[in-house]
Amino acid sequence: MKHTTRRTTWLLAMLAAVSLIAAACGDDDGDAGANGNGQTSDLTGSVVVSGSSTVEPISVAVAEKFNADNPDVDVPVDGPGTGDGFELFCAGETAINDASSKVKDEQIAACEENGVEFIELWIGNDGLSIMTNEANEEMSCVSLADIYALIGPESQGFDNWSDAQDLADELGSETTFPDAPLAITGPGEESGTFSSFVEIVIEEFNEDRGADATTRPDYQSSGDDNVIIQGIQGSDTSLGWVGFAFAREAEGVKILEVDGGDGCVEPTDETVADGSYPIARPLFIYVNAAMADENPALAAFVDFYLNGGVESVGEVGYVPLADEDLEATRALWEGRTTGAQ
Amino acid sequence: MTLLTTPKDIAETAARDAVERQLTSGKADTAGFAFRLLLLLALAMSVVVLGVLVVDVTTNSWGVVTNRGWDFVTSKLASQPGQAGVVQGLVGTFWIGAFVIAIAFPMGVAAAIYLEEYAQRGRFTNLIDLSIRNLAGVPSVVYGILGLTIFVKLLQPLTGPDANGRTLVSAGLTLAILVLPIVIITSTEALRAVPSGLREAGFGVGATRWEVVRHHVLPYAAPGILTGTILALARALGEAAPLILVGATTGYLSRGDDFLDLTALRERFAAMPTLIANWASQPGAEWESNTSAAILVLLVVVLLANTAAILLRNRFESKRR
Repeated sequence: MKHTTRRTTWLLAMLAAVSLIAAACGDDDGDAGANGNGQTSDLTGSVVVSGSSTVEPISVAVAEKFNADNPDVDVPVDGPGTGDGFELFCAGETAINDASSKVKDEQIAACEENGVEFIELWIGNDGLSIMTNEANEEMSCVSLADIYALIGPESQGFDNWSDAQDLADELGSETTFPDAPLAITGPGEESGTFSSFVEIVIEEFNEDRGADATTRPDYQSSGDDNVIIQGIQGSDTSLGWVGFAFAREAEGVKILEVDGGDGCVEPTDETVADGSYPIARPLFIYVNAAMADENPALAAFVDFYLNGGVESVGEVGYVPLADEDLEATRALWEGRTTGAQ
Repeated sequence: MTLLTTPKDIAETAARDAVERQLTSGKADTAGFAFRLLLLLALAMSVVVLGVLVVDVTTNSWGVVTNRGWDFVTSKLASQPGQAGVVQGLVGTFWIGAFVIAIAFPMGVAAAIYLEEYAQRGRFTNLIDLSIRNLAGVPSVVYGILGLTIFVKLLQPLTGPDANGRTLVSAGLTLAILVLPIVIITSTEALRAVPSGLREAGFGVGATRWEVVRHHVLPYAAPGILTGTILALARALGEAAPLILVGATTGYLSRGDDFLDLTALRERFAAMPTLIANWASQPGAEWESNTSAAILVLLVVVLLANTAAILLRNRFESKRR
């Protein structure tokens, strides 16, 4: 009796294992013919999207809407970062790379090496937001020179706002910094927000001053925007920067106005879109040109992206393109114009 | 520590104390008391940490649990936190668990049985033993790189050429390999704990090695082996780092919401741990509660898997008596 129950347990276990293996090795004849819905298109295939985590929410929103009409197209979207995304893109793994900064020369070279040609499509804007703690009443507006003096490569070792005074004065700033501890939190080097910051703010100054195009190394860095916000909340006279959409959601922080030479401008949808806010950045998608010719699903997806899809730019918290810029982007796509613009 | 309630308990304790006093000749056992307090403190700490985690996750996710409920579990990844759900992550995690059970468990237990019952002990087996122990301590990211090189790149034609090898098959195999050393080690320990008298008695009555292993050693070691496999499975279900390297999708996935769709095994996939890691980095309070809710779902899944394994173990244990 005891023996038989033990045997049945064994049999059951074996059966389970075998069925699992059978399942894993099971036939792969797909779900051909499953598409009987007259309303939707019968486009099939897949469009793999990766790249910037900043652009990711836009692409996800577009993919959702696209799937509503084209349920049989598989559109996986990921956001490991602009740089990591380009590695996959230039290796031909992904069809579209989201980017929160323009493609770099070495990335172009990597793509060329593998024979990957891309179409660069500008789809929206993102502003960088410079922030401090909301308890910091002394600061409300900074100039580009101030930001360089506080966070640029020459500011290494400054742990008080007033330490940066001389450097800021030298660069022509008229701001008076408070005598207060300076705790900086920002994105790490791997982040698109970091490279945008360097390109927009640091590169205004560094060459003339013989400094490297980077930030000071001694600040608290994180790839997670929430952690940066927490860092800024953590000290009364903190300083930090994240993307515009992120800053809008943040609580307990004060977004500083930025003076690009024409007075202090607050980052808003309008000021980012019309370019009056000085530290905004463009958002792109890069499309693999060869795949766009071969894969009708990809062509349809990009068509959709640039028409109905771009509405998502505003919906997920970024700044939509002006009409004429959007027209220019559409023209690039229609003409399948490859290369960086 | 037992709570003293009934008079009988009190009488028993009093009697025990009296005997103890006589034996220790009336000296107060301060060291013993301090040690006992220390143990209790250690236990309390772990329980408090667990309690805080569960309470924190539950309160944070309460909005999602009450408003969305089952909808959260059955919805797909989405751009809007109010619509996003975890079904694709659950499917991925389910299949990863299936791969671990189907591959790591039989292989690991078999390897352990060979090492303990069949192999000649010697320098070579000691070396193997040592390497397996070291492998168990290798950080999981390293297994991720292994999975990337072997399953995603090298074996791409098998694991899913249409998705560049970044599929559930690759992920399942990678995690199966990740937990294999743990399964081997715990099974080895369980087999070592079998009294040698049991084996000798078996051989003494003329049983073959197979019969001894099959009818005496294995049933005796089964509960211990199962304990190890429970730990291994829980570890596999909770690993995020290797999945990031293998390429779990976290943003959006069109398909992958059907538990029994076998073609999806060779397509791109999502999994609970990477999904949680990704949501935790999204802006806004809504994603935050979604993250907590997803953690809650993963906790429930791991708990269910463990409960099943513990029930199974108890069955074996009661049989052993």
